[in-house]
Amino acid sequence: MARPRVFCLVLIALALGAQGLTPSHHLSAADVARLKDFLSQPFTDLESAFYSIVGLSKLGATVSDEYAACQFLKSQLDPTSIDSLFFASQASQAISECEIPVSNETRDILLAAVSEDSLVSQIHRSVSTLSSLGLPLASQEVVGALVARIGKEDNVLAIILALQTASRLSQQVELGGILEEIEDLAVRLDEIGGVYLQFEEGLEVTALFVSAAYALSDHVDVKPPLKEDQVIQLVNSIFSKKSWDSLSEAFSVASAASALSSNRFHIPVVVSALGPAPVSHNQPLLQLQVTDVLSQPLSSASVRVRSAVSTASESVILREKPFSLRDGLFELNFMESQPASGYYEFSVVVDSDSRLVANNVELKVKVSTEVAITNMDLSVVDKDQSIGTKTTRVDYPSKAKSPFTADSHQNFAMSFQLVDVNSGVELIPHQTFVRLHNQKTGQEVVFVAEPDSKKVYKFELDTAERKTEFDSMSGTYTLYLIVGDATLENPILWNVADVVLKFLEEEAPAVIQPKTLYVPKPEIQHLFREPEKKPPTVVSNTFTALVLSPLLLLLILWIKLGANISNFSLSPSSILFHLGHAAMLGLMYVYWTHLNMFQTLKYLAILGSLTFLAGNRMLAQKAVKRIAAEQSSRLAKYRSLR
Amino acid sequence: MSNSVISVISRFLEEYRTSTPNKLKVVDAYLLYIMLTGALQFLYCLLVGTFPFNSFLSGFISCVGAFILGVCLRIQINPQNKGDFLSVSPERAFADFLFAHTVLHLVVINFIG
Repeated sequence: MARPRVFCLVLIALALGAQGLTPSHHLSAADVARLKDFLSQPFTDLESAFYSIVGLSKLGATVSDEYAACQFLKSQLDPTSIDSLFFASQASQAISECEIPVSNETRDILLAAVSEDSLVSQIHRSVSTLSSLGLPLASQEVVGALVARIGKEDNVLAIILALQTASRLSQQVELGGILEEIEDLAVRLDEIGGVYLQFEEGLEVTALFVSAAYALSDHVDVKPPLKEDQVIQLVNSIFSKKSWDSLSEAFSVASAASALSSNRFHIPVVVSALGPAPVSHNQPLLQLQVTDVLSQPLSSASVRVRSAVSTASESVILREKPFSLRDGLFELNFMESQPASGYYEFSVVVDSDSRLVANNVELKVKVSTEVAITNMDLSVVDKDQSIGTKTTRVDYPSKAKSPFTADSHQNFAMSFQLVDVNSGVELIPHQTFVRLHNQKTGQEVVFVAEPDSKKVYKFELDTAERKTEFDSMSGTYTLYLIVGDATLENPILWNVADVVLKFLEEEAPAVIQPKTLYVPKPEIQHLFREPEKKPPTVVSNTFTALVLSPLLLLLILWIKLGANISNFSLSPSSILFHLGHAAMLGLMYVYWTHLNMFQTLKYLAILGSLTFLAGNRMLAQKAVKRIAAEQSSRLAKYRSLR
Repeated sequence: MSNSVISVISRFLEEYRTSTPNKLKVVDAYLLYIMLTGALQFLYCLLVGTFPFNSFLSGFISCVGAFILGVCLRIQINPQNKGDFLSVSPERAFADFLFAHTVLHLVVINFIG
C-alpha cells in the first residue's frame, strides 16, 4: 500500500509559470488507515471519546462498538458542565441512535454561557451543544457576543473557534463581519520556502483553521478568500506530518482532510502514477491515480494530456489526448504514439469540476526499451597488412568457440551495433564498456567503446600501444561487453570471447605496493660531506718534491749568475729590515695555522711599519750610494772623453 | 728551416747573455722558478685531481701573482726603460715589490684553508 506514495515522490512536479504548485503531501491510503488506527483508541474520558468518535466520522468511519460508546458517553456526562455537555453531544451526533437526555436546567446553563463575559471557547461549546441538541438559540445575540469577544481575545485560536461557532448559526443572520476574519487570519499565515503555509501556533491550529474556514464558507455559500497556491501550501503543511502527537492533533488533521475533500469551493487534486513508473512495450499503459487529499478517487473527473514533450529532442509527441477511466484509474496507452526511449514531460489536466485545485500537473515519464546486440564481429588484424583478416561473427549470448590471439604486431578489433528490439532503430546507450579480465591475476582493464557516425560501435585494441595499461602481462583475458542505460530494461553483461594477449617484453610485473601515505617518514640523518679520496702518498710526495724542485733550480741559476750577498751591509736599519721581513713571513705561517684575519692584521701593522721604516732608510742609503757611484762613473766617462 | 730557427735561437741566447745586466738575469731566474712551480702545480691538478681545490687555487694564484709582480719589478729596474720610470728609482721599485708581495700573501694564506 505504500507504493503510490513512493511514486508520488518519484514523479517530479516541475514548477512552471502559472500552474506552479502541486500538492507534495497528502494522506495516502496507508496514512488514512494509520490515522484511523490512531483515533480508535480506548476512551479515557469524554474529551478523548469526542476526538475519537468525531475524528473517525470525519474520515467516514465509525467506532467499532457504537452501543458501548453511547453508554460510555451517557455514563460520563456531567449535566452541569458545559465542556462535558459539548463533548457528549458532539460525539453522540456521530453515533446513530444515541440520544443525550437534556433537562431544562442544562438548557439554562448553556444559554447563560452565551454572553460577552464568557470566553470564545465557552460560547463555541455552548452554541455547538445547543445546535446539535436541536435547542433554539438567538443567533443575533451570539454574533454580538462573538464580535465583542474577538476584539478582546485577539488570538488565532479564539478567532477560529468564532468561525466554527458562526457556522452553527442561522443563515438569516448577518455573518459578514465574522466571515472577514478568515481573510485576516489568512494574512497571519507564515509561508515557508514557498511550499508550506502555517500558523506559528502549530499544526493543530492550522488544520482547525482550514476546517473552520470551509465550514463557515459552505454555510454562507461565499468563496473563502484563499488563493489556489495558498490552499496547496496549506495542504502541504497539514499533511506533511505523518505521525501525530495527540488525539486532538489527529482529530484536527482528520477534520481538515474532510473539509478539503468535500467542500463547495476548493478540492485539491493529487495526481500520481500507479504501477511501474516507466512505460515500455511490455507495459504500454501510463496509469494515473487521481484522488483528493484522502486518497479517494475522483472518478467523475476527466483527465487529458495537454502535451507530452521529449526531454531530449524537445519535440511534442502527443497533444490533447484524454485518459480513459478503468477501475478507478486513468489510463493512456502511450506506446501508441511510438515514442523513442527516453524521458518525456507530460502536462496533464484534470477538469470537469470547477472546484479542483492544482489540476494542472507536470509529470515526468520514462519510456524504456530493450536492447539487442547485432553484427558482433571479432577479428585480429596485422598492423602491416590489413588484408587476409578473418572475422568471426558471435551471436549473443553465446561465447566465441576459440580464443583469439594477438601479439604486439597485431590489433584486436571488435565491431557491433546496438538496436532497439521493438523498433529496430540503432541505440546509443549511456554506457558501453569493453572489459578485459585477466583470469590468473584478476586484473581488469576497462575501455569505452564509442560509436562512429553510422552508429556502429568499433573497438580496437592496439596491443603494443596499450601495453602499460595491462602492465605488460601476457596471458588469457576474458572479454566482456557491458551495455547499460537508465532507459534500458535489459542491461547486458556478455562474455564475448577469450583473448590471448602477447606483449613484446615480458617484464617482471612491478610489485604494486600499497601506498602508505600516512606513515611517518624515515628520520633524516645529517650526512657530513664525505672527504674525497686522497691520492696515494707516493704521488703527493713526488709532486711535493717536484713543486719544490724549481727552488733548487733557482739557487743553481743564481749561483751560476754570480748572485751574492757581498753588498750586504751590517747597518742597524738593514738588519732590522731583514729581521722584520722574516718576521712577516713567519706571521703568515702562524696566520695559516693559528690566527684569524684581525689578529694577523694587528701584528702585521706593527711588523710592517717597523720594516717599512727600516727598509726605507736602508734603500735610501743604497740609492744615495748608487747615485754617487753613477755620478762618479759619469764624471770618469766625461773625463776620459776629454 | 730548422737551421734558421736554431740560429735565431742561438743568436737570441747569445744576445741575452751578453747584453742583459746581471741584476735582470737574477730576476729572470726568479721568474723561471715561479713559472715552473705554477706549471707543476697545474700538472698535479690535471693528473691527480683538484682536491683540495682551495689549496690548489691559492698555490696557483700565488705563483701567478708573484710572477706578475716579478715582471713589474723587472720592467721597472730595466735600464732601457729608464725614460719611462723617471720618478721610480730601482730601490722604490723593490720596495713596492715587497709591499705588494706582503698583501698578496696575506690573501693567499687566508685562502689556503
